[in-house]
Amino acid sequence: MSIKRFLSILTKEYRHILREPRTLWMVFLSPALVLVALSTIFVSGSSHLKVVLWDQDRTPVSRQFAGSLSSDSNFSVGYVSNYEEIEASLVDRRIDAALIIPPGFADTVQRGDTAPVQVILDGVDTLIAGQATGSLLGHAAHFGLALSRQLALPRAPLEVRSKSAYLPDASERDSMIPGLIPIVFSLPVMAAALALTRERETGSLEALVATPVRGLEYLGGKLVAYVTAALVGLLPVWLAATALFGVPFRGSPVLLVVLAADFLLASVGLALFIGNMVRSQQAATVIALFVFFVPGFFLAGLIDPIDTTNLASAAISYVMPSTHFVTICRAIFLKGASLAEVWQPALALLVLSIVWVGLGTLTFKKRMR
Amino acid sequence: MRESLYRIWGLVVKEFLQLGRDKLLLGFVLLGPLLELTLMGGLAGGGVKNLPLAVVDLDRSRASRELIARLEQTDELSIKTYGDNLAQAQGWMQSGQVAVIVVVPPAYGEALTNPQQGAEVQVIADGTNHVVSTVAAATTENVAAEVVRDLTARHAVASAGPVELRFVARFNAFLDDRPHAITMMLGLIVYQVTLIIASQSLTRERELGTLEQLRVTPLGRLELMMGKAIPTLLVGLVDCLLMTGVIAAWFDVPMRGSLVVLMLLTVPFILAQIGWGTLISLISHTQQQALLFVFALAMLEVALSGFMVPAGDLPGVMRALSAVSSVQHYLVIVRGVMLRGAGWGALWSPALALSGIALAVTTLAWLRLRAGLDTDSLKLRLQVLWHIYRRNRRERQAGYGAKKSGEDRRKKPGLTKGPAYADVRVEVDE
Repeated sequence: MSIKRFLSILTKEYRHILREPRTLWMVFLSPALVLVALSTIFVSGSSHLKVVLWDQDRTPVSRQFAGSLSSDSNFSVGYVSNYEEIEASLVDRRIDAALIIPPGFADTVQRGDTAPVQVILDGVDTLIAGQATGSLLGHAAHFGLALSRQLALPRAPLEVRSKSAYLPDASERDSMIPGLIPIVFSLPVMAAALALTRERETGSLEALVATPVRGLEYLGGKLVAYVTAALVGLLPVWLAATALFGVPFRGSPVLLVVLAADFLLASVGLALFIGNMVRSQQAATVIALFVFFVPGFFLAGLIDPIDTTNLASAAISYVMPSTHFVTICRAIFLKGASLAEVWQPALALLVLSIVWVGLGTLTFKKRMR
Repeated sequence: MRESLYRIWGLVVKEFLQLGRDKLLLGFVLLGPLLELTLMGGLAGGGVKNLPLAVVDLDRSRASRELIARLEQTDELSIKTYGDNLAQAQGWMQSGQVAVIVVVPPAYGEALTNPQQGAEVQVIADGTNHVVSTVAAATTENVAAEVVRDLTARHAVASAGPVELRFVARFNAFLDDRPHAITMMLGLIVYQVTLIIASQSLTRERELGTLEQLRVTPLGRLELMMGKAIPTLLVGLVDCLLMTGVIAAWFDVPMRGSLVVLMLLTVPFILAQIGWGTLISLISHTQQQALLFVFALAMLEVALSGFMVPAGDLPGVMRALSAVSSVQHYLVIVRGVMLRGAGWGALWSPALALSGIALAVTTLAWLRLRAGLDTDSLKLRLQVLWHIYRRNRRERQAGYGAKKSGEDRRKKPGLTKGPAYADVRVEVDE
């Protein structure tokens, strides 16, 4: 390992990045731009559900229920009077849910008993179905409370008061934006994989093999070049998240930068390992996207949290660097966590970076020959 | 016409030979989608399971233990620890060990059966992931409803409140997340494979210098585009067919509609990706740039496809943009055919939208191709036009003062004789 040779590889890589304006802006600015584009899809307000109501009871009480539903800003309510209409609207995706108030609704309520209301959900989009369940349950509880006060009925024996810690309004935008940061950084990371394969494909690696440069110096130069370039890109990302979208930042900026470097070392290491294993840039692209793109959304715990009791699934999630950084970003941004509270994912990233860089160096030596 | 077909055929054969030579790439293009789908379909997409829960039981009565046992029985929650007080449990949440805290207040058991009082349970969820808070609240709400139903059955309390909602779900009775997630993965995997192959094809030739060789053959531009498109289309269709087979055989996702309809409607979806890919490969200097363009485009498509936010909830501008997102329309089709058993009647509008997108993007790519195969040629032509314009203007301005001979004035400004830019050459670096 010679510092001089390492530095010359590093300068060469910087020159590659800086020479082409397109590569330059994509390595430095694209994470922030993609984050901005992605973040605009989250509205800060609540969602809007399309429901239809079939009132079979037609009494003042049932109309009161219908009225309270249409005045709730979460719902846009339509009225139907037979089952065929409900079924047709569900197949055509015109509605998210249908409610049926059965005959005898008012009598049951006035007797002091519990009156059932049938809800038919569109089960295909479980995301919307879950939202509809939550909103309707909340609305029914609210309506029930008002009604029992009005009719002097005994109140419900058990109530659940739920609140969400750190983000009291459970804002989708605030919780998703820190989680998306690892994913937008896949861009510079994948660029590193291609930078390696490109030299092999265009033949300039041959020329490098003839020089005294060793495997570790070569890989280390590329690694440091892309990690530092991506770290510079963290500033616009941070500005976009906090200044533009108002995501609270409660932790320490220094900790975020240090752990981001930790994350980038691990992912660029993995990218270099991939780039090292393949012959053509096309293959590197396909594999990089297979590793970073779809699993980034599904396995990194971005939306569904990782099921820690299912060992097989948890193990695969934990091999991916972005899983740990999703946890870290959310903890630093929203919880204001200190290093003592995120030492586990931080350590995991460190181990991953050593493993991937080590594997990359080992295989690189073999493939040089 | 026949010769043209021959030339396209020749290019198709060349593309397949090239694909066949790179064994790793071939394997990844054909088996990668299956592998990824099986792996992720098996591991993820099952919805939220076993959120680590901390229970703070301040009552320690039979009723509170019953409630805790019911919480443990749910799929969504799994008790990790018991805390003595709220502050301790909040410390665990801060370090990420637990995601949900349930606090059972003192005297919970007595309040439950007292009609004047009513009991109250507090749920605190880690709001840093909004899904956790939604799921935790809904699950506890359901458990509470069970407890109350139990109490009314035992006549311990008179009523469970005036209104109760009873849910049924159409098309997916148990609200299984898997069909939704797996159809999403199917669409995304077909998307990424076709888009990558299409976006790298021309850039690769340019970077390796073989584009020059292609240009001196009699191959026309349209022929070039078609010869590049056909292999991608075939690979995409084979991938889609294989994955549909795996989904039907491995995962419990029903296939209620017709496979032929699904495959027919996959064609415009792939054509749209080929259009995007060709466009990207025409404006990228290097494959690295092409990859970055692909990734940025793919992120946007995912964002607009209803994966993170239901398409109806998107803010105005984004909702308009999602109308031109091919993934979103394709997912409507896939879910319509597989889960709802929809026929042409319900599918014509996404099918039409998809074909429109495919046509528009391919036309754009074709127009860009007509402007020139080189990345810079459009910019260069504009530069040349600007140069000519400026030169003419300068001449005109100079001409007014100096020479006003009749010969000069008759000459229309802007029309110069001969080729204006005969000597423009494009240098691709490296």
